[in-house]
Amino acid sequence: MMKINVLNQVINKSQLILSLLTTVLLIGCDSGNSTSLSAKSIIYCSEGSPASFNPQTITSGTSIDATSNQLYDRLLSFNPGDDDIKPALAKSWHVTRDGKMITFYLRKNVEFHQTKYFTPTRTFNADDVLFSFNRILDQNHEFHSIAGVQYPFFESVNFSSLVNEIEKINDYTVRFKLNNSDSSFLSNLASDYSVIISSEYGKQLSQSNKRENIDLLPIGTGPFKLKEYRAGSFIRYYPHEKYWREKAQIEQLIFDITPNNTSRLTKLLTGGCDVLAYPIAHKQIKKYPNLTLDTVTSLNVGYLGFNTKKPPFDNKLVRTAVAYAINRKAIIETIYSGQADIAKSLLPKSSWAYDDTASEQIYSIETARILLHEAGYPNGFTMNIWAMPVRRAYNPDALTMAKLIQADLLKIGIQVKIVSGYEWEVFLNMVRLGEHESVLLGWSADHPDPDNFLTPILSCDSAGKGSNNTQWCHKGFDKLLQDALQSNNINQRKKYYAQALAIVAEEIPLLPIAHSKRYQARSTKVKGKLLNAFGGIDFRQVSKK
Amino acid sequence: MARNRIYQEEEFPSPLVQLWHNFRQNKVVMFGFGSFVFLFLLAIFSPILTPYSSIQNNLDHLLVPPAWDVNGDVSFLLGTDNLGRDMLSRLMHGASLTFGLSFVVVIISMLLGVIIGSLSALTTGIKSVFLNHFLDVILSIPSLLLAIVIVAILGTGLGNTLWAIVLVLIPQFIHITKNAVKEEFSKDYVLASRLDGAGSFRILSYSIFPNIIEKIIRQATLAQSAAILDIAALGFLGLGAPIPLPEWGAMLSNGLDLFYIAPWTVYLPGLAILFSVVATNLVGEGMRHALKQSKES
Amino acid sequence: MLIFTLRRINLLLITVLLLTLVSFSLNFLFPGDPLVNMSGRINPTPDQLLILSDQYQHNANYFIQYWTYLQHIFKGELGVSMASHLPISSEIINLLPATIELSMTALIIAMCLGIPIGFIAAISHKKITDNIILTIAMLGYSIPVFWLALLAILVFSIQLNWLPSAGQISLLYEIKHVTGIQFIDIMLSESEYKWQAFQNASSHILLPACVVALAPGALFIRLARTAMMDVLETSYIRAAKAKGLSFLQIIYRHAIRNALINVIRHVGLQFANLITLAMVTEVIFNWPGIGRWLIESIYQRDYTAIQAGLLVLSSFIFIVHILTDFIYAALNPLARDTKHGA
Repeated sequence: MMKINVLNQVINKSQLILSLLTTVLLIGCDSGNSTSLSAKSIIYCSEGSPASFNPQTITSGTSIDATSNQLYDRLLSFNPGDDDIKPALAKSWHVTRDGKMITFYLRKNVEFHQTKYFTPTRTFNADDVLFSFNRILDQNHEFHSIAGVQYPFFESVNFSSLVNEIEKINDYTVRFKLNNSDSSFLSNLASDYSVIISSEYGKQLSQSNKRENIDLLPIGTGPFKLKEYRAGSFIRYYPHEKYWREKAQIEQLIFDITPNNTSRLTKLLTGGCDVLAYPIAHKQIKKYPNLTLDTVTSLNVGYLGFNTKKPPFDNKLVRTAVAYAINRKAIIETIYSGQADIAKSLLPKSSWAYDDTASEQIYSIETARILLHEAGYPNGFTMNIWAMPVRRAYNPDALTMAKLIQADLLKIGIQVKIVSGYEWEVFLNMVRLGEHESVLLGWSADHPDPDNFLTPILSCDSAGKGSNNTQWCHKGFDKLLQDALQSNNINQRKKYYAQALAIVAEEIPLLPIAHSKRYQARSTKVKGKLLNAFGGIDFRQVSKK
Repeated sequence: MARNRIYQEEEFPSPLVQLWHNFRQNKVVMFGFGSFVFLFLLAIFSPILTPYSSIQNNLDHLLVPPAWDVNGDVSFLLGTDNLGRDMLSRLMHGASLTFGLSFVVVIISMLLGVIIGSLSALTTGIKSVFLNHFLDVILSIPSLLLAIVIVAILGTGLGNTLWAIVLVLIPQFIHITKNAVKEEFSKDYVLASRLDGAGSFRILSYSIFPNIIEKIIRQATLAQSAAILDIAALGFLGLGAPIPLPEWGAMLSNGLDLFYIAPWTVYLPGLAILFSVVATNLVGEGMRHALKQSKES
Repeated sequence: MLIFTLRRINLLLITVLLLTLVSFSLNFLFPGDPLVNMSGRINPTPDQLLILSDQYQHNANYFIQYWTYLQHIFKGELGVSMASHLPISSEIINLLPATIELSMTALIIAMCLGIPIGFIAAISHKKITDNIILTIAMLGYSIPVFWLALLAILVFSIQLNWLPSAGQISLLYEIKHVTGIQFIDIMLSESEYKWQAFQNASSHILLPACVVALAPGALFIRLARTAMMDVLETSYIRAAKAKGLSFLQIIYRHAIRNALINVIRHVGLQFANLITLAMVTEVIFNWPGIGRWLIESIYQRDYTAIQAGLLVLSSFIFIVHILTDFIYAALNPLARDTKHGA
């Protein structure tokens, strides 16, 4: 019986092919239906492949864009207008006066994704919250170290020593018990990394002994679910039919992975994609009436980080000399076309902890020469600069920036070798391991709290494994950050941060270069808000005309 | 003083002179040859001739279009790139990198290939069979792919790229030399000198080389156009010349991001590569034609 | 014909064996631990390393190591990619068809255009047409392929907006991966948009295929021209002329068939060249083929992928080479007796 069926199918198919071939010959063009297909879909030309489909385990913006807002929800989220924290999967929450106990009351009837690889039998509840966070906290959790994953964001904010215990009060109430109060805790829970994953899915995977799939084949509660991923090529999402908020207005969302800047722009110009990540040639885009260029004020900083564990940059004088020798004004003009602010410190102007009175790194070849002489390198030395291979708001063209710095440093006798050509995730990994001598990189804030700038980039905890690629570890600096976190008084915190930044300006583990806006181009057909000041792209409310 | 001819003398020009004689007949070929010589001289003297430094940034003149454009500047004849470097100077310097180095590469691989080829022509038996197969295998791998693999072993960089291309080109020279030497060895004049008591090496250097040199030069021109394209392709893929050297392929890939705002940074290096490959191919073509004519005459 | 077949199969076996030897030794030449390079398991724990070393007989002598390596290859185990951690054999099965599709389309375009043009050039020998055709052919194989690809995108995609600039098909169409050859997969799929998908896929392949086809096409022009001229000078053509056949009759009845045979002999040799061009073109057109994957593997320092890709791609080229040899031998009985390389 089976065989006959198969045979029938084959015959049917071959007939179909024959009839199609004749239609190919007979009919010329008709593209009526394809417009309807494209009206229901959005293609986003992204700049790289995600390293994982679980934002808990990564820090790169590329992976965040592809996962956080599309596939998952958090307990809390940010209000786009005023950066206030607002409810998401948690309906409401309560913080005790000492700030050490936080109780979340969870939303009911929130459905997880139903896909080819998982069918949920129950809705979201407290078990999922426990599962999501215990995975990070508990070293012995069966999902803690599958396939060698790490939790760089949570390590950098020292999550495991902050949270003492997570308690399930009932199915829809959980309580976080902290070891000490932390003023950025709620912000961290609202950030793109603190997503909720399904504990039921975890059980299924652990029974079938395929635990590593938890980060490869994602199940979340977000507005979209994963349909298909072809590494290096594309990601296809379908809308989540039972999404608890307003459902997505499109029938498919496609991330077309196009690392090359020019091919990406070409795709937009030729209608191959609707939204474009990190566009080049802004002026050119503005010339097309059917395209718009979005500008979003973004909390970010681009910097040149020194590997303070490797000579010669273990010497403060050398770092200072290099900082003096770099003409940042020329960099702003050339790389950012003047559309960026010179970074005074790590914090951009829009951050509430921004200190207007702090002194700025000046450009002086003479001072640089003297310092270099003092440091014992009168004739200079040879160093390398690792230039990040992708375009980011904080650094739209690291390779050219590296070339400018190469020319600047040659003036004080330093020979620069530029390292480029690595794939983005490989690059981040090698920099994390400290392969570089200096690196052009940057940071986009995940939430508006200034702690999110200082702790991930420069704290001891994130050195080596997190996102502190300078390997710099300064006890006094860390102490100030801790003090700032334990205070709820904004003026007091401001003072701590000013002191911490003064230490950075003195020690120069990195040279902040610029704060810039984030750009994005899209077809005018695409309506709705996509970008916020921080965090990844969000397609939830986007529609297409 | 008039020269008296006592005997009816017939001049026998050497094969090379004869080749040159035939070669000169075709105007297009001579144009190609002229361009080739021009590029060769440019490759040697570019450091003296360039109007600006090809490496130093000039941030006051970013992305100046070529002089014929409305916004162009005559002092930068072919415009500047995104770091204000003069395109003309960079292209001239690039001539010594892409074209000059391809020439060097071909000479080295030719020498090595001819030596190995003639030695292998003298060997027979299992060694020769093995070598034959090995050459077939190597020749079946696309040259660029092989070069990429060798670069992956040696690490990226201009020097390594050059070695990779040398290694890729050698088998072709071995192949052609071996076949040519074998063919000549079967001819009567070789038999004659062998009867005179000449050893294999003597025959090789005195009798055979002068007769196969044109074939090798012809192969060298083919190899050179391949070498130019390979150096440029590796540069384009970011595996060749390091930043900031103005190798043409690397220049082109540098211009890629500027394609929409400064198209000349893409057109010009491409044209330079095309020009040098056409010049080389014309020389090779002329050589082939001339060879055919000398054989027919 | 039997002896010919045996000889070719023998040649194929020896070649593939030599290729595996090359890729085996690459594992030792690449930076890093040969065992890691071979298996693609990066940062192995000591336990994993022990298992691997057992699997690959790493402590035995080189001959046994090579033998185990061969066994792994013939079982289809090419290790896992150092970058994506997926099995390389599955990646290659995903990607190779796209490259075959592109290169075969290009080969067909190159032959269908190049050979007739070459014949025309030969027939109109010493005339302006001949010179123009030769000049175009010379430009055709001198042009750097990456530059040509960029110009093609600029003209046909951006300025004229006729053809798409990248990819194999618009991602709007969800085509299930069955054979990997896009056109066949579209036919097999049950999408309601099948017909649009088919059109879309054809418009996507046209530009890259033409870019790849230009240089081989130019060479086919030259080969066809030479072959035709050689044929026209043979005595049987002269005999045909003497019989009083018209020129067109001679060309149609005798010359084309014989010249074609001589051109086909070179198709196999051209194929390696064509694949090289396809590799670079894939990068620029974002074509999801094995060439782009190989070049990206270099950026990612994925040595396992590089050696496996080299092995597969070169074997593929060699197989095509041998196949054209067969076709040539089938068409030309005289060729069956000559030894290879002689």
